[in-house]
Amino acid sequence: MPVESKNCWKEKGVWGHGSPKCEYLEEVIHCRNCDVFHQAGRSLLECELPEDYMQEWADLMAAKKIEEQAGALSVVIFRIKTEWLAMRTKALSAIIDSEELRTHSLPHRKSPVLMGIININGEIQLYISLHKLLGIETGDQRQEMHQRMIVANSSGGKWVFPVNEIFGIYRIHPEYFQNVPVTVAKSQNTFTQSIFHFKKMQVAFLDDELLFYGLTRSVQ
Amino acid sequence: MLILLFYIGDVLYSINCEKIREIVPVVKLKKVPQSPDFFAGYFNFRGIIAPVVDLCRLIQNRDCQPRLSTRIILVDYQFETETRILGLMAERITDIIKKPEKALIMPDIRSKEAPYLGGIIMQEEEMIQYIDLTKLPACVDFMPIPNNTVPVKRD
Repeated sequence: MPVESKNCWKEKGVWGHGSPKCEYLEEVIHCRNCDVFHQAGRSLLECELPEDYMQEWADLMAAKKIEEQAGALSVVIFRIKTEWLAMRTKALSAIIDSEELRTHSLPHRKSPVLMGIININGEIQLYISLHKLLGIETGDQRQEMHQRMIVANSSGGKWVFPVNEIFGIYRIHPEYFQNVPVTVAKSQNTFTQSIFHFKKMQVAFLDDELLFYGLTRSVQ
Repeated sequence: MLILLFYIGDVLYSINCEKIREIVPVVKLKKVPQSPDFFAGYFNFRGIIAPVVDLCRLIQNRDCQPRLSTRIILVDYQFETETRILGLMAERITDIIKKPEKALIMPDIRSKEAPYLGGIIMQEEEMIQYIDLTKLPACVDFMPIPNNTVPVKRD
């Protein structure tokens, strides 16, 4: 095992910018395969216990384990303006902090849904507005704190759209899904498959296949 | 077989993963007066009262250090006809390795006081002490067993 300084991986390892590179890199390929890195990680666990740690865990272990019903569906819950929406996690490719992303508008495109193109990890993807597609009413225009980009995966390609907030990924049992009111379901542009209650919120569960079909049509 | 590695002081020990139910962080234990010093106390494990043995105390005669890597290994053991759980507290519980059955060597010399020790696992040039879980509960048998212990069903 090479004996090295305490954070050699940042100096001459894969996270370092300087040269020379560590001679062991050829052998181990990546610092995470190196024993020095392993030992450093393990030593993090050798610290003193935080205050209340033991009591907190004692309380957690005393609680009964809640078993989840079988057949629950994993959904990602997010917010666009005032509406809480959900879609299958399967259709989700990535959630990206929107601050560092650059978008470009497309000239001679009048579709309100298609906002332009965006560079996601070096690939050009369509940048669309789900809020225009779904016809969600715009609330107040204040700057939101938790804006994120969702990259969704469909069989036809990727779609990128901004959301105001991501609540998280949760497992919901289909039993909790309620039918959409008939008047809404019959209206033309509905992509909502069902509605469920989640922590005092009403969440609309989107049918992703229908949604991607609608998106494809609206950008053509 | 899968083997859990841990330390007691500077000595590396191992146990078979087969009987391990769960590994939990070190929790606040309910101490019992007049009990042997290796008996660290009880804690409530999801409604079951689990006794915890401090392996450092048992083997090296000093308490486990309060560290994040100090954890409690919950193992199932047979008591008469029912399955019960026992917590084993040890230090630096961070790794699980896979070893063939033949890596476990049982030398002929056995200590009378600690028959649960004795097995050795060969890891390259290193020898790792192997704790026999079938023999360990019998050695700590004189510790108080709560009357209301519910028989545990193994899922």
